[in-house]
Amino acid sequence: MGIVGEFIALIAFIAAAIFGTAGIVGLYRFPDPYARLQASSLCGTTAVFSIFIGCLALASSLAIAARLLVIIMFFLISSPTGGHIVAKFAWNSGIDPWRPERTERPRRRWWKRA
Amino acid sequence: MRTVNAWRLMRFGISFGALYAVWIVFTASVDAFSLFTGAIGSLAIAALTHDIFIAQHEASLRAFVPRPLVLVGFLAFLVYSMYLSSVQMLVALIRGRANPRVVHFRTRLKTDLARMVLANSITFTPGTITLDLNDDHLTVHWFLATTRHSRAAGDIVKGKFEDRLRRVWS
Repeated sequence: MGIVGEFIALIAFIAAAIFGTAGIVGLYRFPDPYARLQASSLCGTTAVFSIFIGCLALASSLAIAARLLVIIMFFLISSPTGGHIVAKFAWNSGIDPWRPERTERPRRRWWKRA
Repeated sequence: MRTVNAWRLMRFGISFGALYAVWIVFTASVDAFSLFTGAIGSLAIAALTHDIFIAQHEASLRAFVPRPLVLVGFLAFLVYSMYLSSVQMLVALIRGRANPRVVHFRTRLKTDLARMVLANSITFTPGTITLDLNDDHLTVHWFLATTRHSRAAGDIVKGKFEDRLRRVWS
């Protein structure tokens, strides 16, 4: 692999750090369970997936790469399923989805001086 | 009764084969002991779970055996859409602008496995989470909604995935 693999891994790990941070920020920024789940599960999945891609680029042998591929496949199945189960529970317990309020201040027109 | 038993045996065999293949990939060794342990474990797990792994009514081989090349294409598209949606979510986070809605639509996919994969893929697409899946009826929380029209929403959310999935299974 050499330098190319390390470069790919570097990019993947940087992406993972960015998306992971975004997931945590979204978890605290949004007010209701659905939106929090959107941010955290989606960005978390992408972050972990990026880390796996980086590991795949650094893998030393074919056996390890094959194992990583199997782990990635299981992760791609299990992660959205986990998010879906939490969302389904929230939906079944009747939580109303949050709507952002339109806070449109009355715009002051320069030609209508009150 | 005969066909039911034969189908059960076949499901058992397929479950066992899949489990054993994963075991061999994970251990990556061909010792007698490792192979023996894996066979015992796979047999036990297949005996317990073959009814869940492949349900009895999925009586067509196309229902759970994918076309490999199309599946690889689908996975590549899935990864691409995952990164795309993460970037969109990042932008929505920074600008603090969102339009969450709950939309309902139906899917044309026939098999359970394809429907499950569709629900999981929808959880990947630009800010959508599958809330509920009843037979062919999907309830989806859409974070960056652009329309209220239910069929148009269905086309936007599931359209590309559904077309690809119909070629993988069914």
